[in-house]
Amino acid sequence: MKKNRHNALLIGLIVSLHLFVIFPGFLAPYDYASQNREIPFAPPTRIHFFDSTGKFHLRPFVYAWKQDSGPDSGYEQDRSRAFAVRFLVSGAPYRVIGGWTSQLHLFGVDLPGQIFLFGTDDFGRDEFSRVLYGGRISVLAGLLGTSIALFAGSVAGVISGYYGRWIDSLVMRLVELFLALPWLYLLFAVRAVLPLRIRTTDAFLLLVGVIGIVGWARPARLIRGIVLSSRERNFVLAARAMGASDFHILRKHVLPQAYPIVLTMAAYLVPQFILAEVTLSFLGLGVGEPIPSWGNLLAELQNYSVLTSYWWMYLPATALVALFLIYHWASSALQEHTSVSA
Amino acid sequence: MRKAARRIIHGLLLLAGVSILSFALLDAAPGNFFDELRLNPQVSSSTVAALRRQYGMNSSMPVRYWRWLESVARGEFGYSLSYNRPVGELIWPRARNTLLLTTLATSLAWLIALPWGIFEAMSCGGWIDRVGGVMTAILLAIPELLFGLLLLLLATRTGWFPVGGMASIPSGQETASMRISDLALHLVLPVAGLVLGTAPILVRHVRSAMAQVLGAPFIDAARGQGIAPMRVVLRYALPVAANSLISLLGFSFGALLSMSLLIEVVLGWPGLGPLVLEAMLSRDIYVVIAAVMLSAVFLVVGNLLADVLLYFADPRIRTA
Amino acid sequence: MNLRVSAKAIGKMLAATSLWLAACAALQAQDLVVSKATLAQPGGQLVVSLRSEPKTLNPILSVDANSREVIGMMNADLVHINRDTQSTEPALAKAWKISRDGRTYTVYLRRGVKFSDGATFTADDVVFSFQLYLDEKLHSPQRDLLMVGDKPITVKKLDDYTVEFDLSKPYGPGERMFDGLAILPRHLLDVPYQQGRLAQVWSTTARPDELAGLGPFQLKEYVPGQRFVLERNPNYWKTDSSGVRLPYLSTLTFLFVPTEDAQVVKFQGGETQMLERVNADNFAVLRRNESTNGECLRDLGPGLEFIFLLFNLNPLDATKSPDIAAKQVWFRDLRFRQAISLAVDRKGMARLVYDGRATPIWGNVTPGDKLWLNSNLAHPERSIEQSRALLESAGFSWNANGDLLDTQKKPVSFTILVSSSNAQRSKMATIAQDDLKQLGMDVQVVPLEFRALVDRILNTKQYDAALMNLVNGDVDPTPEMNLWLSSGQTHLWDLGEAKPATPWEAELDRLMEAQMTATSFETRKKLYDQAQAIVAENLPFVFLLSPNILVGAQSTVGNFHPAILEPYGLWNADQLFISPAGSPLCK
Repeated sequence: MKKNRHNALLIGLIVSLHLFVIFPGFLAPYDYASQNREIPFAPPTRIHFFDSTGKFHLRPFVYAWKQDSGPDSGYEQDRSRAFAVRFLVSGAPYRVIGGWTSQLHLFGVDLPGQIFLFGTDDFGRDEFSRVLYGGRISVLAGLLGTSIALFAGSVAGVISGYYGRWIDSLVMRLVELFLALPWLYLLFAVRAVLPLRIRTTDAFLLLVGVIGIVGWARPARLIRGIVLSSRERNFVLAARAMGASDFHILRKHVLPQAYPIVLTMAAYLVPQFILAEVTLSFLGLGVGEPIPSWGNLLAELQNYSVLTSYWWMYLPATALVALFLIYHWASSALQEHTSVSA
Repeated sequence: MRKAARRIIHGLLLLAGVSILSFALLDAAPGNFFDELRLNPQVSSSTVAALRRQYGMNSSMPVRYWRWLESVARGEFGYSLSYNRPVGELIWPRARNTLLLTTLATSLAWLIALPWGIFEAMSCGGWIDRVGGVMTAILLAIPELLFGLLLLLLATRTGWFPVGGMASIPSGQETASMRISDLALHLVLPVAGLVLGTAPILVRHVRSAMAQVLGAPFIDAARGQGIAPMRVVLRYALPVAANSLISLLGFSFGALLSMSLLIEVVLGWPGLGPLVLEAMLSRDIYVVIAAVMLSAVFLVVGNLLADVLLYFADPRIRTA
Repeated sequence: MNLRVSAKAIGKMLAATSLWLAACAALQAQDLVVSKATLAQPGGQLVVSLRSEPKTLNPILSVDANSREVIGMMNADLVHINRDTQSTEPALAKAWKISRDGRTYTVYLRRGVKFSDGATFTADDVVFSFQLYLDEKLHSPQRDLLMVGDKPITVKKLDDYTVEFDLSKPYGPGERMFDGLAILPRHLLDVPYQQGRLAQVWSTTARPDELAGLGPFQLKEYVPGQRFVLERNPNYWKTDSSGVRLPYLSTLTFLFVPTEDAQVVKFQGGETQMLERVNADNFAVLRRNESTNGECLRDLGPGLEFIFLLFNLNPLDATKSPDIAAKQVWFRDLRFRQAISLAVDRKGMARLVYDGRATPIWGNVTPGDKLWLNSNLAHPERSIEQSRALLESAGFSWNANGDLLDTQKKPVSFTILVSSSNAQRSKMATIAQDDLKQLGMDVQVVPLEFRALVDRILNTKQYDAALMNLVNGDVDPTPEMNLWLSSGQTHLWDLGEAKPATPWEAELDRLMEAQMTATSFETRKKLYDQAQAIVAENLPFVFLLSPNILVGAQSTVGNFHPAILEPYGLWNADQLFISPAGSPLCK
């Protein structure tokens, strides 16, 4: 019973986290590209319930940041004007899906106030909004990359395992070849080689393709193993004796054996591929400005001054770690689930 | 014996395949080494063209591949365009530095992971297992990149550890022990980063291998006979689990040269990583190819090693 | 009073005088240079970081900056450009004469100068060195620096201490061309040269006894991947005004530190004593701790680097690259480029990307070049309204969403390439993108690996626009000729044109050729002023900023006089000294 509650919680977390990143427009108070050049690297806005006279307000409010007077350019709160935090406000328009745009945001403050939950970056852009939009890129890259790797790997594994002999040898040699190359080098090389698409969506898809290509080898080997073992099982032999076609056998008897493993692999691979995108973007080879991804958000930390002075720029890492933890949990749960039923 | 010979030939073919693949990939990458020179207004294009010809960059790929093979046979492993030296001279010192780092880190990681994994498996749902599980989950979720950055932050904030490099500038009067302690200080951060990145994975694998074995009936039988739990684990369970652990060891060995690239770059360790990164970005192709080949060699040797160890460790394979 | 001076006394005086005269003569026979720097005691060790390892110690082959820096410490040239005054001063050449027609240079060499291994320096070494530089089979990049009027200069020995150079045409920059050309030891390199092995010698693994130079330092030790250690050259030909032989430093160590941030950490920790160039963010961090750490941080103002937006104006085959060709219709319209130049927020870029430590520019000569800058050029203020007016006059219009449409009613959209390895230029491109959005343009910033970027710009020409930087090698305009000449190989916006594509490029060609062969500074300045005006008017590049040169040194480093020409802090390494701990020197 406890297991069921755990699982329900897990599924709920996964779904909601993915909703966050697929529909960031609603949760993010601002667009990811709107710059506020007067307040670069501002710390997270502080939320107050008590005003300067000590009075308690049920509705939280914030102050604006203004430049600290003095040689050291820090920020201090401008207590001259308070801006109330409101929920379900109308703000900058954003695209939800296809052509449907909306202006509804979960929260916001009255203009000209601004609320930066995660502070601002070097262009004064809201880091919280960028983390949400950035998650979309990174997570999508992970999901799509995993799909490509699993699909390619499955096809290769099935063909290799089912038809055997020289096809098997060839595919397995190719797998070994890809596994022998250190993945980071391979990532670079493939990224550098594939035709340079310059439009952003194209560049992103290219990135996803690269990640997927690098990762097809391990799933292929695993699937091949499963196909090999199930090929000799009694029910497959029986089906063949009854004259079932190869395709039918694959679809109805062999593949179902593979599904749980594939699912487990997926839960294991998605964080790996998100990490691949993060690494590429960190090294400057991912999506370009102004589109955020967790990788290029973290790339800011390569600067010594950012590394040591602006702690809120580490927050994308917490989003990343949280997501990985959830996937990890899901992967363990799936592993238990499949090993129990196997 | 025949099997060993087949494996070795297999490995050699794999290396050949890796070299061809690397050549092809690097060849297809846009830009070449001399492009930066062309951007310099003070260097004429005829000089650049002549340099290209001199280094044989205009020949077709098969010709260059053949020349590279000859160079490998001579022990030079190609020619670095940046450094104007045979790649071999360039790579060995760097590879040694990387191996120093990774062997230390991998040994440490195994030393930590093996007992921890065994304890987790023995505890099986007990508090050690659960706490350990949470810890490894968190550590696994944090990318190695982040470890590197956090360690860098630690070093700069506290000043306890030197940042970058392998040794401080010698004044010429250090004793051997002073030099060793200086080296050790420089090693702390990169080793810590690598251990934090690899130990959790090892712990998980050890735990799952041991847990599988510990669930087997013969273990119950041994326990039932009253044999002490530690003895059961070490003398009965571990040898059976050794099968998959040895393959894991083979993988660990195989990754010795390639696992540390990010950490070396972020923390400034003078190993193969920064050299290869720079070579990749400046299209100094023979350096990249040599580094990739070296990593592949380690991988092949690691697999062979695992096979050999398995042969001696697992009687079932011997008698098969 | 006995006025009769004894013969003995006279004899003694004569002896003393003649001894003194002989000593003077001996010193004079050595032709040493006397430096005017602050006096100090010899001794002391300086440690400096280098971004990456030098690739070679062979001056014939070296191109990268790190190799040149180390080579520069171990070798000397005939005439040297003083980085501080930016004019030439005698080095190994104690004087030179330029003939009336400007085509013959007679150079008088210093006498009594020895290489670091004790061999005597004569005209043979000079002739030999230039022979190597000019040898076509060696393909030295330095050869191109010695081409005047498409013909290489020739060198002739007149006697043991006089050399003559002949040029096919008079050369504007004059003796500046000798700066940085190391004079090599014939006695060590002649044999490898005759055997055809010159490219293999003097690599970074050369042993100290295989090298010899005329610079202030010589090689002591090389630890691969970690550091280069140089030690004092006891035969260096400069002394200070009290007769102490330079350099003061006993060792100069170059530490290889791959990232700038690690360099800053080492500097703050005292492991290195000089930071030769640091970016604005790190400078701010260092500034905050300056007083507690006893450091000397200097903002030297703009250097010779200029950052610009480049538009693809190459004539492309419209059938092969229809997208780019369509966009080129906009790029070719001068009003389009002018509108962009008026819309970008240079001040904002300087403030956000460089912490204010960069200077907006509207031409290729930065304010760091005080000698050649045309100060009459206009510096138009940023104005979105004016931009819009310009675009409108060029036939552009806006739709209901505010998107800019061209004369065919197609939306204006293009990409700007930047090198992924330079964070600052990527940021500038992002700001530009935001600025151009206010004009209704849809601009995307695409980071590319540097080599891939260069490949597109130089080879395939498949790009819309790019944000790049170039650094002038010298304040003199001639080294940049290939950029401005239509036929030049770095005529980036329109490569490979044998004939000028537009009238203004033809005029630019004429002016640049003329200034190269004019010999009086006033004539050249007038010509170059006109060239600058043409460039600023016709905007082949939209010039953005020139970053300031930021350097630092520990306060124990004496004679620290950084300059905006490379090497920023070490150009006077022979005069630097380390004061005893605790006595701050820089103010």
